[in-house]
Amino acid sequence: MSSENALHHEHEHHEVELSVWPLVIGLASLLIPFAFMAAFQWSSPVIGLLLTGVSVVLLLIGCFGWASEVYSKNQDVGLSKIAILIFIISEILLFGGLFGGYFYNMLPAEVWPPANTPDHVPPLGLALFLSIFLLSSSGTIHVAEMKLEKGDMGGFKGWLCLTIILGLLFIIGQAKEWAGLIGEGFTVSTNAFGTFFFTITGFHGSHVIVGLILQIFVLLLGSRITKKSHTIVKATGYYWHFVDGIWLLVLSLMYILPYYGI
Amino acid sequence: MSNEEPKGLKAWLLTTDHKKIAILYLYTAAVFFIVALLLAVLMRTELLTSDKLIFGPKLYNVFFTIHGAAMVLFWMIPVLLGFFANYLIPLMIGARDVAFPRLNSLSYWFYAASGVIAVLGLLLPGRLDIGWTGYPPYSITTEANTALYIFAVHLLGASSIGGAVNFITTIITMRAPGMTWGRLNLAVWGFFGAFIIQLIGVPVLAAAVTLLLFDRYLGTNFYDAAQGGSPVLYQHLFWFYAHPAVYVVALPVFGIVSEIISTFSRKKVFGYTSMVVAIMIITVLGFETWIHHLYVAGVANWSRVIFMWATILIGVPTGIKIFNWLATLHKGSIRLTTPMLYALGFISLFTIGGVTGIANGLLGFDIHVHDTHWVVAHFHYVLALSMTMLCIGGVYFWFPKMTGRMYNENMGKLAFWITLLGSLVAFMPHFKLGLDGIPRRYWSIPEVYSSMMIISTIFSYIAIAGFILAIYNLIVSAINGEKAGDNPWRAKSLEWSIPSPPPFYNFEKIPVIEEGPYEYGKPGS
Ligand code: HEM
Ligand SMILES: [Cu+2]
Repeated sequence: MSSENALHHEHEHHEVELSVWPLVIGLASLLIPFAFMAAFQWSSPVIGLLLTGVSVVLLLIGCFGWASEVYSKNQDVGLSKIAILIFIISEILLFGGLFGGYFYNMLPAEVWPPANTPDHVPPLGLALFLSIFLLSSSGTIHVAEMKLEKGDMGGFKGWLCLTIILGLLFIIGQAKEWAGLIGEGFTVSTNAFGTFFFTITGFHGSHVIVGLILQIFVLLLGSRITKKSHTIVKATGYYWHFVDGIWLLVLSLMYILPYYGI
Repeated sequence: MSNEEPKGLKAWLLTTDHKKIAILYLYTAAVFFIVALLLAVLMRTELLTSDKLIFGPKLYNVFFTIHGAAMVLFWMIPVLLGFFANYLIPLMIGARDVAFPRLNSLSYWFYAASGVIAVLGLLLPGRLDIGWTGYPPYSITTEANTALYIFAVHLLGASSIGGAVNFITTIITMRAPGMTWGRLNLAVWGFFGAFIIQLIGVPVLAAAVTLLLFDRYLGTNFYDAAQGGSPVLYQHLFWFYAHPAVYVVALPVFGIVSEIISTFSRKKVFGYTSMVVAIMIITVLGFETWIHHLYVAGVANWSRVIFMWATILIGVPTGIKIFNWLATLHKGSIRLTTPMLYALGFISLFTIGGVTGIANGLLGFDIHVHDTHWVVAHFHYVLALSMTMLCIGGVYFWFPKMTGRMYNENMGKLAFWITLLGSLVAFMPHFKLGLDGIPRRYWSIPEVYSSMMIISTIFSYIAIAGFILAIYNLIVSAINGEKAGDNPWRAKSLEWSIPSPPPFYNFEKIPVIEEGPYEYGKPGS
């Protein structure tokens, strides 16, 4: 690893790096709490929305500025593969905390899901159907990586697009599921199961969206991705497999078991 | 391309250099430290009498909340993992910077943003009065703006996870040729353990407060017992991180103590391998003890007993470290410089705190002292004062490296003795209060303890005066201290082999490492 690390190469000159993008993203992040508090604590949702908008715009500017800086200076030194694996440990613990909390409420309960849960909740059939999309997308992204390794850029892009479409279908399906449930009066406030159901599927869904953003980003990088410079592709792949793995847990714990009254 | 280093505000705000970022962390953390000390002054003054003296109960609740949160989350952890780790890791492993310099800068800005939010928690209407622990149901039903607390934790969490990913990657992949795991400084090992804990623990804390946010504002039922939720769940999730957070602070501190003691005894650290093993054991065991904070929360008896043993077990690796430090001192040629005094002061305060910690861990005893002033005394000794003192000692130790100048030794020593005296006495009365069952977090202590309260307040002022003097000395010396040279301590560790202050690229040529950092007592050393 260290041998391919550019920082270890001995330069005649040493260059000072300044970058404004972290500061931009930091500012964007500072606006989020204000947006939230405007909407919920100080009951002026319009200002909340406005601040969210500004924050998202800043965030996008920051991310794209950052990325183009890294790529224009050719600084992909191959470390983000390891970094993403380390980051995934942290993500696993995030879900661990949520699932831990779920078990904590579920195990001592005499009836689970609680009695006031509607009959057809959780909607297992739809979830199984959506699983097909998400699980097969793990395969398609793997094919995309193999194409890239062979230098087949057209094939790489094609399979990546397919992965993105599958992911999008999953998210759309889940949004429909949520809308249906809420329409029938099953919400976060219904009971402890509703609370955990929406929170855990929501957390997972937001991770799918992050994965999709990463993939779209890779697609936009276009010709900067080559057989040799593809760390970001690998990292995106790892992340996507992780999101899929978590889905298997979500599917078993939030759909299959509760469906059978466990 | 040039060897020129840019100057001015821009060079600081836009920097990606780990040393500059480290110093930004140090300044910011110091500001929070001083604010939190001022709040302590206010609280201690209010406690002088059992009647209302200046501000009474409502603000007392706000002050201990912000004091606790600022001290733990905005001073101790950032000064260790933002400042020390940032400054030292690349220098100690022989790298030019961290793995992701921009991410490093982003971590700082998340921390700064979080700090802004926390300060607003003190200033905006709806001041935070939920304790640094933020327990529901109070944090859900209070008028206070709980969202500020939650977002401060979120932003800080993003900062910490970014830092953890960055530094773990750095330590794994960027060590100079020959810098084997067995040649790493113990400080680097301590940081490594601390970052692992951050990586594992912070997401769980983030989950805990996110659920709090949902309960408070979106109508969920996580912590609402009436709807099948449980407020105890929060305590589990919170302490799953917040107990190990003690080791996030302690492991780097242990590492820094080892650096200082070895340098000023001119001896190799005794039992290097056992030190490393102890750090890693604590990293793992640290996650097996959190239920000792829930002894009286209604958890199952078997779990209380298991966690009691795990808690006490963690005393073993900690004891090994204390033993190894003493063995390192034994027959060393000891120089009592200011940093060395702080290291020794740390060991003594920490031992007091550690012994009371074992007592705390005992189930029967803790049920008696739980949530009393005993706990306040315990953690101010074991963590707050001892480790803060050591942090200051660490800044003194690397001060010549960072600035190229020498601090004023006499003023440094004086400040140390003042702080030590103040700290030793200030919290003794709290042990007695706790044994008598006086609960913590009250603005008024019964009249009968008034003489003790006066002693405690006076010695608190003394301790704080010592801290302020120590900081003053650093500021003045940074401006016009004498030139220190590159290696005033004649230390063997890698960071002392380069110029002071180090150039932004750290090493002209990446060094090839041939021996460990503590090879004292060889010819020519
Ligand atoms: C000389 C310095 C200090 C003094 C005089 C002091 C004083 C106090 C006082 C009076 C309380 C409130 C006790 C109560 O009524 O329950 C308190 C709480 C606390 N202090 Fe300090 N303190 C000092 C330094 C520190 C430091 C350096 C730390 C950091 C790591 C720290 C961390 C805490 C925490 C975590 C709490 C609990 C807050 C809560 O209950 O939510 N203190 N301190
Ligand atoms: Cu603990």
